[in-house]
Amino acid sequence: MLSKTDKNATLFIVVALGLFFIGGLLTTVLPPLLDKSWSKPFENNDPSKGPTGKLVQYTPLQQKGYEIYIREGCKYCHTQQTRTLLSDVTSKGAGSGWKGVDAPVSTPDEFVYDYRQTFGTKRTGPDLSRVGGKYNRQWHKAHFNNPRDLVPGSIMPPFPWIANNPDELDALVAYLQTRGRAKNWRPDNDYEQ
Amino acid sequence: MSAMEKSGTAVQPQEFHQDIAAKWFLMSSVSYFAIVAIIALIIAAKFVWPEFLGSIQYFTYGRMRPLHVNGMLFGWLLAADIGLSFYFIPRLCGVKLWSEKLGVATAILWNIIILGAVFALPAGYQKGLEYADLPTPLAVLVVIAWLMYGFNIFATIYSRKYEQMYVSTWYLMATILWTAFVYLTGNFATLFTTGVNQANLNWMYTHNAVGLIFTPAGLAVAYYFIPRTSNTPLFSHKLSMVGFWSLAFVYVWTGAHHMLHGPITQWLQTISIVFSIMLLIPVWAVVYNFIASMKGQWHQLGENVSLKFLMSGTIFYLLTCFQGPMHSLRSVNAIVSKTDWIPGHAHMAVMGAFSFFAMAGVYHVVPRIFGTKLHSETLANWSFWLFLIGGLGMFTSLWLGGFWQGWQWSTGNIKFIDTVIALKPVWVVRLLSGVLIATGIYTFMFNIWSTALGTKLPQGESAAV
Ligand code: HEC
Repeated sequence: MLSKTDKNATLFIVVALGLFFIGGLLTTVLPPLLDKSWSKPFENNDPSKGPTGKLVQYTPLQQKGYEIYIREGCKYCHTQQTRTLLSDVTSKGAGSGWKGVDAPVSTPDEFVYDYRQTFGTKRTGPDLSRVGGKYNRQWHKAHFNNPRDLVPGSIMPPFPWIANNPDELDALVAYLQTRGRAKNWRPDNDYEQ
Repeated sequence: MSAMEKSGTAVQPQEFHQDIAAKWFLMSSVSYFAIVAIIALIIAAKFVWPEFLGSIQYFTYGRMRPLHVNGMLFGWLLAADIGLSFYFIPRLCGVKLWSEKLGVATAILWNIIILGAVFALPAGYQKGLEYADLPTPLAVLVVIAWLMYGFNIFATIYSRKYEQMYVSTWYLMATILWTAFVYLTGNFATLFTTGVNQANLNWMYTHNAVGLIFTPAGLAVAYYFIPRTSNTPLFSHKLSMVGFWSLAFVYVWTGAHHMLHGPITQWLQTISIVFSIMLLIPVWAVVYNFIASMKGQWHQLGENVSLKFLMSGTIFYLLTCFQGPMHSLRSVNAIVSKTDWIPGHAHMAVMGAFSFFAMAGVYHVVPRIFGTKLHSETLANWSFWLFLIGGLGMFTSLWLGGFWQGWQWSTGNIKFIDTVIALKPVWVVRLLSGVLIATGIYTFMFNIWSTALGTKLPQGESAAV
């Protein structure tokens, strides 16, 4: 049959689309039907099964910050996924753990309310999937104003139009503080405000 | 006789074709190539001087990067491939383009889209999905433009004089069909989903934008221009079929390899790995066919600029598509994923392989459709070497840097900021390589515009193959 496709354009169209749809549908439509964690928000009350907690919807303020995160393309430098690798979970090296506690691995059910996926492809800056509560508002304000004031050698761009705009700053910080917080992974709730 | 041989200028003189749509697309694509090269340099410079243009929000890194990516992909590369197809499809079919008017209208709409993106993205109106960054109204215009283009090409193909279709024709038909669905998935279906589900659709799109849009479009170009510019027949029709149909089946399964080790279903990751490895089949079939066609013809490389671009593109295609499957292996992925290695790899595909093919086509076609002589062979050679050396500098610095970065992360005891500081020399080399590449692009643009505006040769002479 394939050998006829170079003479018959209609047959060609049917076969080319047919092959495409087999792989296309099986890898996009089927997985969410089979794996419910893609659509069921995270909830765990049993400490023996890992960190407890519950994923909640974004508040309007957090949502506004989320939109700023998208607008500024932060995701082109920051990932938001703690992968199943030492490099990602560790608190001692370049991973998303902090203050001596390793970060729990990210699971699909933590991202159910994300209107734009922010997993990212490039880690020019550190992963942000567990950054919620790591710094307070004051730190973020100074950092957005000029990252090099706090972290010498940083190549993160300055964002003075956010740092100097209290509404946008509040929103963006509120969004950042939600990152990774569905899972209560910190000992003694030592989250910053 | 194959369709390729029948389509020679002996059958229809150059004057038979009007090529107005091709002119529009090619000249705008070459111009955008040069404009977006500035954006590329700006973002490379920001890695060296993070404050550079830093306090002006419209020029911040996170808004410039999508402009760079979309400008290069849609403003330059896809537009160039479309322009070239308006040239070779009518010739392969032995008829005129179905409608030059429709083709010009498509080109005008395309320009509106790109100009729209040039204003929308820096203003912060990005949709927030990689490669699908264009805001929805512009994405709708892309769909309309694509339908206009597809209709024109298919109408030409359905009215063809030669029954047998040459391999470039299949690849181009497939590009049009697959793009339609891949683009709709990435730009519209994603809007109805969230989280991992959206990411999965996004990767299906991003990956297939390269695999099922730029790959078949670029291979259509290479399959046409390798035999054409070297005046030799293609090595094997059968092998080209193997390459094509294995690509058609294998490519679409691999999207999830962008999230290996990440929060996405394990079996989906494994499937994407298996199919990524199978990608070696279509790639090696194509590359073998190209190289074998050149047997006994290699001496032509010296005096034929288009052929230089085509053969370097072939080598880059082979390399980038060897890297791809290797990155999909979990052990390799653990080191290179999310590092600077990945932009090195991505640039070798769209800049190394497919832009080289497109530049070869542009150098071949523009003098013919404008009825002039190439402005300068010397400058053409310069553009090749600048592009090649700059490209190699960029790829290798990013691979070495990325590998080093990935290794540092994997030790688990080096602070993130130290892995940033360690890479600074790499980013300086990348910027310098970028300057070479951009110089190559400007030489190319200048040469092509001078050719288009040059003095017309007397009728008949311009048609020389
Ligand atoms: C050009 C790449 C780049 C862009 C764009 C960027 N960042 Fe960063 N970011 C970095 C780098 C590099 C670091 C590490 C050094 C530092 O802390 O400044 C960092 C660090 C951070 C940190 C501290 C993380 C930690 O665990 O210490 C936060 C929070 C952050 N960025 C948020 C953002 C937000 C929000 C945006 C968008 C408004 C953004 N970044 C845009 C590169 C970038």
